[in-house]
Parts: sequence; C-alpha cells; structure tokens
Amino acid sequence: MLTSAELVWLMAGVARGDQAAFERLYAATRAKLFGVVLRILRRNDLAEEVIQETYLKIWNNAGSFDAKLATPITWMVAIARNRALDVVRRKSEVSIEDEPEAMEAAGEEPNPLARQEMNDELKRLLACLGQLDEERRRLVLLAYYGGWSREQLAVKFEAPANTIKTWLRRSLLEIRECLGS
Amino acid sequence: MTTMDDDRDGLASEYVLGTLDADERAQAEALMLVDAAFAETVRRWERRLGELNVLVSPVEPPPAVWEAIKGKLADVAPSESVRLPEVPPAPPRAAAGAEIVDLTQRMRRWRGLTVMTGTLAACLVAVVVMREVRPELLPAAWQPKIQVVERVVERVVEKPVEVVREVVREVPSARPAQFVAVFQKDEQSPAFLMSVDTDKRTVTVRQVAAERLADKSYQLWIATQPGAAPRSLGVLGTDDYTVQTTLASYDPAVVSNATFGISLEPLGGSPTGQPTGPVIHAKLLQVTPAQNP
Repeated sequence: MLTSAELVWLMAGVARGDQAAFERLYAATRAKLFGVVLRILRRNDLAEEVIQETYLKIWNNAGSFDAKLATPITWMVAIARNRALDVVRRKSEVSIEDEPEAMEAAGEEPNPLARQEMNDELKRLLACLGQLDEERRRLVLLAYYGGWSREQLAVKFEAPANTIKTWLRRSLLEIRECLGS
Repeated sequence: MTTMDDDRDGLASEYVLGTLDADERAQAEALMLVDAAFAETVRRWERRLGELNVLVSPVEPPPAVWEAIKGKLADVAPSESVRLPEVPPAPPRAAAGAEIVDLTQRMRRWRGLTVMTGTLAACLVAVVVMREVRPELLPAAWQPKIQVVERVVERVVEKPVEVVREVVREVPSARPAQFVAVFQKDEQSPAFLMSVDTDKRTVTVRQVAAERLADKSYQLWIATQPGAAPRSLGVLGTDDYTVQTTLASYDPAVVSNATFGISLEPLGGSPTGQPTGPVIHAKLLQVTPAQNP
C-alpha cells in the first residue's frame, strides 16, 4: 500500500482525468477494497460488480475528494462499503453455502498481521472499542466488517431488533464520546 | 445535545456502520442530499470508523475486473459527469434552478387551493430536488430476473456449516422503483421523510423533526395533477414510522409524478376532506431506477 500522501497525489491526478494515475490508484487499493466488499457480500461475482461500480464512481468523483475531511483510503472504502451495503440490503438471496471461502473471509476477527500497519487513529479507535462490553463490541464489529443488519444481529444475539438498535446507537455514542471528536 | 440531534446523529452513525435496512438507507441518503449538516455528520462518522478498514485482509480481485473498469472509462469521462458526487460540495438546490421554479408554481397552486378551501394557511418552505439520485445504482447483471421470486430465505450462519435460524419473508415479484420525498420544515430541517414502494404501492412516512402536538394530527395528501384537489392518503400515526397502503388505487406512473403534501389538522384528521392547516409539500426523488419486468 502506498502512503496516504502518495494516494492523495494520485487522487489529484484522477480528478484531472489522468488514466495512468487511476490505474496506479487501482493497483494500490484494489485488494483492500475487494477484501472489504467481499466480507459484506460473501459472493465473488457480486463483489466484483461492486468493485467495478466503486472505481467508476471514484473516477467520476475524485474531484470532490477533500484531504481535509478524509484520507483517500477511508474515502474509497466508504464508497465501496455503501455500494456493497445497498446491494446486500436489496438483493433477494445470497446463498452463503455456495461460497465457503468467501464466508470465511466474512468472519469478524480482524487480521492480526495487519496490526503492524496500525496508525494512531486506529489505535485510539480500538482502545475505545475495547471499553465496550464484549458483546457490544462484537455487535459493532460484525456490523462493520460483515455488513450485518439489525435483523440479522437480532437473530444471532437473540434480542429484538429494537433492542439491537438501542445497543448499537448507545455503543456508537460511547465510541464518539471516547474519541472526543 | 437535544434528543432530535441525538436521533440524527444515531441515524448517521448507523448509516455508516451499515445496520440500516434498505428503506432507511434510502432515506438517509436523501437526507444527505438536502441537508448539508446531516451530510457532514455522516462524514464525521465515516472518519471515526473508517480506520477499521486497516484490519481487513486484502483479497486480490481477478484481472477481468480492471479490464471491465477500463472499458467503461470512455463512457464516463469525469469532465462530462453530471452525477451527484458521494460527498456533495454544495447542496443540490443550487444546481436545480429550473426545477425549483416549477416547484414554486406548484406551491402557488397549493396556496391557491388552500385559500379556496377557506383557510389561509401559512405554507412552510418546500425544497424539492427532482433529480435522479443514483441512476447507476445497479449494473444490468443484478437487475431482477423475469421469473417471479415468491419468497426468499435469509440464513444467518454462525459457522460456515451451521445454520442458526432461518428468516423467511415475502419479496415482490420484481424490484420496485424506490422513491423518497423530503418534506422540509425550513432549509435546514426536514420534517418528514417519505419513501414509496410503487410496486407494493405502500408509503412509509418517518417523522424526523416534526413537532409532536398532542391535540393535532398530521395528514398525508396526494395531488395527482397540477390544479387538482388533493386527496387524503390518511392520517399519520404518532409513532416514528407510519406505513400506509392507501396508494393501492393509484397508477404507479401517476404516483411517481404526483405532488405530496402533509398538513397539520385537528386531532383525527381534516373535518372537510381537504387540507385545513399549514401544508408542507414534496415531490418524489427516485433512488433506484424503475424496472420493467
């Protein structure tokens, strides 16, 4: 992965319509974005479609990227996740059993090898997540990484969806207060 | 911080976390388009949670994906783009001048109607964006198949082989066109968000920042043609969400072009069959393209 500063520079090129910059941006970020959407969609064909849509959107909207508001990778991940979540909430059926490998990728445990890449912002966030009850923390991580809906979480945690909503919002509020931003 | 702000912050946080259902996501996205403060709240949440992506293991997509993207670049040169950005640099109303003029005329008609019904109502500001929000939402490959899908089984799986429980729900025979309308109290605060499923012909109205008055009711109206008298779609309940099935007798094409209004009425609804109190108006925003099965 390139540094954030290098990605910002590539984004500026993409905003000017520079296809070579776009290809380099794709090469630097495709595996991260594909990993993110595959965990949510659990199907390679859907994930591939979402990645196509995501990069076309990045190509179209690079000019609206603002380095003061986001880092390139969080901006791109947000686009990819939103696209994947829209698909997963609207799709009629995904057969999880067909894709055992993809399902494995959808598990909620973060990759320990990536810990060396942790920046200060992530360390603060993880410290705040660490202050939540274990169950609440799992709820938040399953939702973020796996794209689980309230209804799916309600089944797993054996609680009404409204209770899940209350837990989620309270947990997120605690995270916000803990981060102090 | 007030309860209302908490509610909006909660909606933004859950939008970013991803736990909202399709309807709520569409409403949150519509809200982001008309409410810069809400869009900013969403961006803050994206920033707070965004670093979690670092812990996701990268997975290489197949090379064909890049070929497909490259093949489409020619069609979507950024300088020719007219699509709304994910993070709008400015509220879309600035770019929708012609439509707002049209809307102003509609509002005058509504004002006229209100006068005709004998009550001079203080019309609230209606900001309407008639713009296809995301025409590119779904690629052709995901569009609904022609065969009728009767029902769907969603499985929540604890481990790859172990099925915990099945949730069975009915789905429509084809993907419905989803529309959202935003009823603005003023430029900054949407009072209601309405989503319409033109396939099932149901309307869901969510109270966002509407004042709750113990001795009054909100009533939903539809005007299917310019100048036509509005017809009631029912009185809204006191809960956050009201689902109405009263659109069933209307043609979907008519519904998608209609103007909607919400008026403040005596408890239980208008005594005259026409709006008698202040009215807020909105037109529908299309959030997913209509499908022709």
